[in-house]
Amino acid sequence: MNLIREIWQSIVRRDPLSTDKGKSELVFLNVWLHIHPAKVKKENLKFKHTYYLGFITFFLFVILVTTGIALMCYYRPYPAQAYQDMKDLQFAVFLGPFLRGMHRWAAHGMVVCVFLHMCRVFYTGSYKKPRQFNWVVGVVLLLLTLGLSFTGYLLPWDQLAFWAITVGTNIGSYAPLVGGQIRELLLGGHTVGEAALLRFYVLHVAVLPSMVILFTVVHFWRIRKDGGLSRPVWKLKAKKPEGLVTIGGTPEVAQLQAVPASTDKTYGLMEVVTGKPIFETITPEEEEDVAFSYPFAFFREGVALMATVTGIMAISLFFHAPLEELANPAKTPNPAKAPWYFLGLQELVSHSALLGGVVAPAVMVLALLAIPYFDRNPSRRPKDRKLAIWLFTIFVVVNLVLIVIGTYFRGPGWALVPPWVHVVAGAE
Amino acid sequence: MNRRAFLSWGTAGMVSLSSAVAVSMGAVARFLMPSVFYEPPQTFKIGKPGDYAFGVPTFLVDEKIFVFHDRDRGFSVASAVCTHLGCTVAHFQSDQKFHCPCHGSVFAADGSVVHGPAPKPLNWFEVILARDGQLQVDKDKIVPATYRLMV
Repeated sequence: MNLIREIWQSIVRRDPLSTDKGKSELVFLNVWLHIHPAKVKKENLKFKHTYYLGFITFFLFVILVTTGIALMCYYRPYPAQAYQDMKDLQFAVFLGPFLRGMHRWAAHGMVVCVFLHMCRVFYTGSYKKPRQFNWVVGVVLLLLTLGLSFTGYLLPWDQLAFWAITVGTNIGSYAPLVGGQIRELLLGGHTVGEAALLRFYVLHVAVLPSMVILFTVVHFWRIRKDGGLSRPVWKLKAKKPEGLVTIGGTPEVAQLQAVPASTDKTYGLMEVVTGKPIFETITPEEEEDVAFSYPFAFFREGVALMATVTGIMAISLFFHAPLEELANPAKTPNPAKAPWYFLGLQELVSHSALLGGVVAPAVMVLALLAIPYFDRNPSRRPKDRKLAIWLFTIFVVVNLVLIVIGTYFRGPGWALVPPWVHVVAGAE
Repeated sequence: MNRRAFLSWGTAGMVSLSSAVAVSMGAVARFLMPSVFYEPPQTFKIGKPGDYAFGVPTFLVDEKIFVFHDRDRGFSVASAVCTHLGCTVAHFQSDQKFHCPCHGSVFAADGSVVHGPAPKPLNWFEVILARDGQLQVDKDKIVPATYRLMV
């Protein structure tokens, strides 16, 4: 028995979890958990502050990696085999349709959750100093998510896939000067063919996931380094509270306040540094509003994880991922539509390819990247940010309206057809 | 090492490093550009002139072209690839126009844009009579819409 205990203690070296020291050590002696602080502000755990959207997005990514690796065991990225493998996954492989469904719904869910997460961060003003750069990292992650979804779209090699990618990559070729070359580089040829399938596969299973992991690590790291999650909007006071505790600051900037030492804690001065900290600090009176990450934060994350996984599983039980007929370069389906999250773009493109397909998305991405540097208003309170909130809401609504029009109101020949009217495609 | 030597060696070092990086990036880009395309050839034969009826254009699925055979003016070959986003257009006998299913572009009988987002007219390809008596199309040679091959 002693040997077993010795082995266990060589793996888990923390104190028992019944002690405060053990609760802290669980976090910072563990390589996976130490991305958390040992203690978190209670108010930041509230569901209505973040809706846990960042976590849900991350969990969806975990589902995607897991199911994606499983699907890779049965998929060959060559036009002659790819579609046949999809049919096998659909009809022959044990749990094939279920796994493929999970992969697809988690992918769509990730696009949705990344977007909602961005909206949450905007509306709570959480991109403001000192978190500007983490917003930029987030926008990069949004683009990578779209890239992953788009490259995965081609892999089934059915009509839907083939024409969505044909239309999608042709949008890119409208970029001035380099557009055509970028398309050729992406496709490894002039049309969507076997070279394109292989390249999209490599991007989908190797290049883009690694980039997402790298940027996610930076994204999480920055949350900690910027002082944890931003304070909930309802906790913000009308005026900025006086005096962050700053050691060595000039008296007019901040004042060192005497705080009565509590009796049950040990404080140690680790290092004396000068200057203001770059991150938000906890004032002594806030010190009492924190809770140990174990179990309070971990429990909530666990619930979010289980809810995400069960949700995706439940959807996959009832809705299977569609598979159309084999890709046929000679026959364009009518209408041919890009993936839904690009249908707003396609709607714009149907009016002007250069303006809608290149200028508008480029301006959108640049505007998103510039938000934290362009918005000079230091206040995070919604009352003080009416203009910003209006502008962003217009941006969101315009995007949604365009996507809805492209998805439900465009029929054969891209004619405006309400979804309740049935049109026989191909009729002259 | 004095200041002057440090700066000149440092500059030389930075210049060589950045040129090496630039050259490597160029090499990577070139590596990704395929040297060989395993794609259908741009020049191909489409059979004897007699195979094509007068009037109604023949659509060749794999080549994505329309072959027009006019009794008085001879052969002409139009691309079936929409100049907007690469969808395959259809030729409607009813109005003698090309219609794109993706974004509703419409092209007139001569390929010019009548309606919709297409930025350019449909391409017309050179068609010649090969030595063996077959028609030969070259998709790399774009010709004016007035181009005709009399056989």
